[in-house]
Amino acid sequence: MTHFSWAIDGSIIALYLVATMVAGIMVRRYVGRVEHFIVAGREVNVFLGIASLAATEFGVITCMYTAENGYKYGFAGATPGILFAVAMFFVGVTGFCINPLRHAGVMTIPELFEKRFGARIRWAAGVVIVLGGLLNMGVFLRITGEFLVLVGGFDLANLNRNVVVMMSILLALGTIYTVVGGMLSVLVTDFLQFIVMSTGLLAVTILILTQIGWDRLATTVTERCGAGGFNPFLNPGMGWQYVVFNALEAMAGALTWQTTISRLLAAKDAKTGRQIYTRTSFFFVCRFLLPGIWGIAALAWLAPDALASLPHTFQEDSTSLYAMPFFLSQFVPVGLMGLLLAAMVAADMSSTSSYMITWGSVIYNDILAPLRKTPWSEKRGLLWNRVIVSLIGVFLLFYGLWYPLKGDVYAYLLVTGTIYLASISTMLIACCYWKRANSWGAAGAIVVGAVIPVTCLVVEQAISMLSHELQLWRCYTGMAAFVAAGAAMIVGSLLKPAGAKPRTVEPAAGTGGEP
Amino acid sequence: MIGEHWIWWLLTMACVVWYCTITVYVAIKGTADIREMLTRLGDQSDDGREPPGDHPRE
Repeated sequence: MTHFSWAIDGSIIALYLVATMVAGIMVRRYVGRVEHFIVAGREVNVFLGIASLAATEFGVITCMYTAENGYKYGFAGATPGILFAVAMFFVGVTGFCINPLRHAGVMTIPELFEKRFGARIRWAAGVVIVLGGLLNMGVFLRITGEFLVLVGGFDLANLNRNVVVMMSILLALGTIYTVVGGMLSVLVTDFLQFIVMSTGLLAVTILILTQIGWDRLATTVTERCGAGGFNPFLNPGMGWQYVVFNALEAMAGALTWQTTISRLLAAKDAKTGRQIYTRTSFFFVCRFLLPGIWGIAALAWLAPDALASLPHTFQEDSTSLYAMPFFLSQFVPVGLMGLLLAAMVAADMSSTSSYMITWGSVIYNDILAPLRKTPWSEKRGLLWNRVIVSLIGVFLLFYGLWYPLKGDVYAYLLVTGTIYLASISTMLIACCYWKRANSWGAAGAIVVGAVIPVTCLVVEQAISMLSHELQLWRCYTGMAAFVAAGAAMIVGSLLKPAGAKPRTVEPAAGTGGEP
Repeated sequence: MIGEHWIWWLLTMACVVWYCTITVYVAIKGTADIREMLTRLGDQSDDGREPPGDHPRE
């Protein structure tokens, strides 16, 4: 029995939705050029950047998989968050890769690659970025729909219908303001969403810590996971493979994850971009640890057989994913439930809208625009961007319904992200710091960096594997993708005959500072 | 239990305190950032620099 009340909790959610839609649509009058639509005219300052990056990087999907990590692995499940925080802090402090990227005056990473590796590499990089990004975000909506149906106490007998309705409403709302105002609307709504999301996240966490208590949480982890619940290297579901793969992903993500990089490129200058990185870095620990505590609380609070009452669909593969929402539906009181759901809707809308605009920008800027001999006008460019964002929305709806998600959600996200993280991070480092790097090496990195994770996904759909086997398989193939992309970049670059003078990346006029 | 796993206890408390602080701070400073961003974008349109319309891009 859920604690959701339509009168009290429903009103809180409705108020949030109205405020978001009004704010998102109101800024449309500032969007006159493609640069406004994609990078908000490069006018973003530090605190808006922090709010936007934090809101984007925390969706319902994040809450679900980090809570699942807590439920399955205890406190050790927050290890990826610590690795991400270290990577973000390192990149922000040193300016590693992001300094030359920001100074180049580009709107996307593939645009930078064209300056060094040529137009074909730019196009190919755009394709793998979009492939990895869309497959990655393709599962967001369905998981979000399932979360809201479970916590909101909707009729589980008509689970699929309710999930589809929920997915469609959320997608439609996010798409409307993204299409209208582009990155500007995304930034302004992200700001509102950050405040609502953070308030809800903190309120529920504090309620858990005061009502259930630290001792009970720690005792539960000790009983269920042993020493592995506190140390990832001793956890049978994690191990060094998991830690190394996550460290690689964290570094590559800090350098090239499209939604993160878009904040750097939208920042008003390189220094502001770096400050957004350093000051948001600790958020990545919160992003894993706080929902992880929700997952641990579910483990401590729910009876061992409680999840058996979940619908058949949730029993097929991984019930651990649904433990946290099932727990919250019974634990959170009326009033706070409205804040929690508004927070989760905010988290989902900010992630979805931001992902749509950033991957849409790559489709426009690096896949479609280079195919034209004469550039589009500003007006036509804006129209194309809006069409692309709408089409991504349609894709999300159908992919979310169709794709049969297996095993650990977080591992799926890592593998799909690797499709481009392995190659693009390798190329970015080589592009910025290795003079000998050239188009042969870049092409090799793109091909092997994408083929290995795609093969991994195909194989795991075809062959039945146990949960821990699947986890290990994904970690090994992920690490292999990074190693192979690096090797391909080195070997390919060295094999290409030295002919013309190597291209270098020059800072764009007006970007300021050293490259 | 805190003594045995003090690192995780400390990290959890640090997350709660830091996140509470940053939420309030960003809520205040972010509002000013949005106002400044929209003012500058508005000024660009008023000055006639790069006006919206059907002009070819570089």
